[in-house]
Amino acid sequence: MSEVIPSETGTDSDTASVEKPARRAFLKNTGLTAVGAYVGMNIPLGANLAAFAQGMDEANIMSTKEGLVLLNDRPINAETPAHLLDDDVTPYKHFFIRNNGGVPSTALDMDAEGWTLTIDGEVDTPLELTLADLQENFEVVTLRLVLECGGNGRAFFNPGASGNQWTTGAVGCADWTGVRLSDVLQAAGVKDSAVYTGHYGNDPHLSGDPEKVAISRGVPIEKALEQDAIIAWEMNGEPVPAIHGFPLRLIIPGYPGSVSQKYLTRIWVRDQVHDGSKMAGYSYRLPAYPVAPGTEVPEEDMVVMTDMPVKSLITFPQSGTQTSAGEATEVRGHAWAGSGDIASVDVSIDFGQTWIPARLDPAKNKFAWQRFRADLTLPQAGYYEVWARATDMNGLAQPPVVPGWNPRGYGNNMQHRIALIAT
Amino acid sequence: MKKMLPLLRAALCVCLIFGAANALAQQAFDPMRPAPNPLTPIMSAPQSATAETATDPDLGDLPIGVGAEDTYYQCIACHSTAIIRQQELTDARWDYLWGWMVEEQGMYEPDDEIKDTIMEYLKTHFSSER
Repeated sequence: MSEVIPSETGTDSDTASVEKPARRAFLKNTGLTAVGAYVGMNIPLGANLAAFAQGMDEANIMSTKEGLVLLNDRPINAETPAHLLDDDVTPYKHFFIRNNGGVPSTALDMDAEGWTLTIDGEVDTPLELTLADLQENFEVVTLRLVLECGGNGRAFFNPGASGNQWTTGAVGCADWTGVRLSDVLQAAGVKDSAVYTGHYGNDPHLSGDPEKVAISRGVPIEKALEQDAIIAWEMNGEPVPAIHGFPLRLIIPGYPGSVSQKYLTRIWVRDQVHDGSKMAGYSYRLPAYPVAPGTEVPEEDMVVMTDMPVKSLITFPQSGTQTSAGEATEVRGHAWAGSGDIASVDVSIDFGQTWIPARLDPAKNKFAWQRFRADLTLPQAGYYEVWARATDMNGLAQPPVVPGWNPRGYGNNMQHRIALIAT
Repeated sequence: MKKMLPLLRAALCVCLIFGAANALAQQAFDPMRPAPNPLTPIMSAPQSATAETATDPDLGDLPIGVGAEDTYYQCIACHSTAIIRQQELTDARWDYLWGWMVEEQGMYEPDDEIKDTIMEYLKTHFSSER
């Protein structure tokens, strides 16, 4: 499905291809007046004004994105077509949106005044840290990290799995700046009784009930203490934009994106597996054993999803592009895995009968996606498909078909395919 | 003859579509025709129901049918109809989701008659079983 799902009102149905006029109109109507209304806001030179405008309305967020396919407008969820993910570092305008709740007013207003992060639970010294505390007392690092929704690829499960029907575009790779989660946890002193983390943000629950938590997930303490997870306040050198978690968020790469809490206010170190919102039931869980498609798996047989599977995406050219028969043409994309680095990527132009090794760039850092390139020559005029297959360091490769069906449609890492037309 | 079959088929298609004999040479093979996204055919079709059924713009583009209005007002308290319109689920999953929304997500539970109407509507229009 490549169509935009129209919104209820029909007025946002064009958000999938926000053209420049619409963008300009937004700046004129909302962005600039909002900026004018909040004198003193320090807008970084050259920053995307729309993305950083204060007083933004949740309904305007899609006008700061370009080319995304809107899956849901309340809560906002939108994915990126593969050919718009060609950059090594995914820019804001092309970064997918997965929100479980509303966007908090603090984020919409870009107001970080008085923001604190609490670290408590199974620690020697509970901490309450301001943004300045984080920035001044810990080593600041910038890491290029993939963020991918656990349900990316859900649309291909049959029977259908409930939730947003992501195809291939619930993934992006940005440069995140912040401090290591492990440094902060160790500053508080992790007790031997620590088992898991539990993350909290200030995003409102969809029901509007202030007692309810939109989402609160966590990771095993061993995962939290690895060097790759960070508490970030910058995305691509700018403050984390409203829709991506302003002013503070976790990035815990390799796991489903839902553990990377936005609008982060608290990390509760638990003495048990965290039981926050969307940790239990079928959310971000897989059957403990292989099941036939459509099976009703008992809740107690569902286990928490951990590492995301090995995956790749062909980002150039766009599916359906014409190329000259008999002449080499570059095909490229990215590969990544929850287990870390990629061992190899192969491509096929004959439906997987034969495979051609792609050139693979090293990762900038662990959990950054890796660029692959192959020069392909389509022998004669006609229809071809390019398939890509990444293999991780454990020797696990992407399957050609949708892997194990599960009730919520997680972990689909089937090979990506595009059409190429030789003329 | 075996080789001729695809040609004949193509010719038949062309005649049906264009009704013009001189189009045959160009249309028998057209590498310039728009290419599909190869991932499209194997996807479940979340909008297959709405493709056949007229939708009501006043009810969030839900398919017109018994229960559409009850469904609309029940669901939009928390979320837009866009998430409903994407679903293609088994009956058992719809039953589970109802309970999950009531117990975990704070959904107001209407009387049994309205509940049954809504569930019937969802299982009719957003089903992997029918």
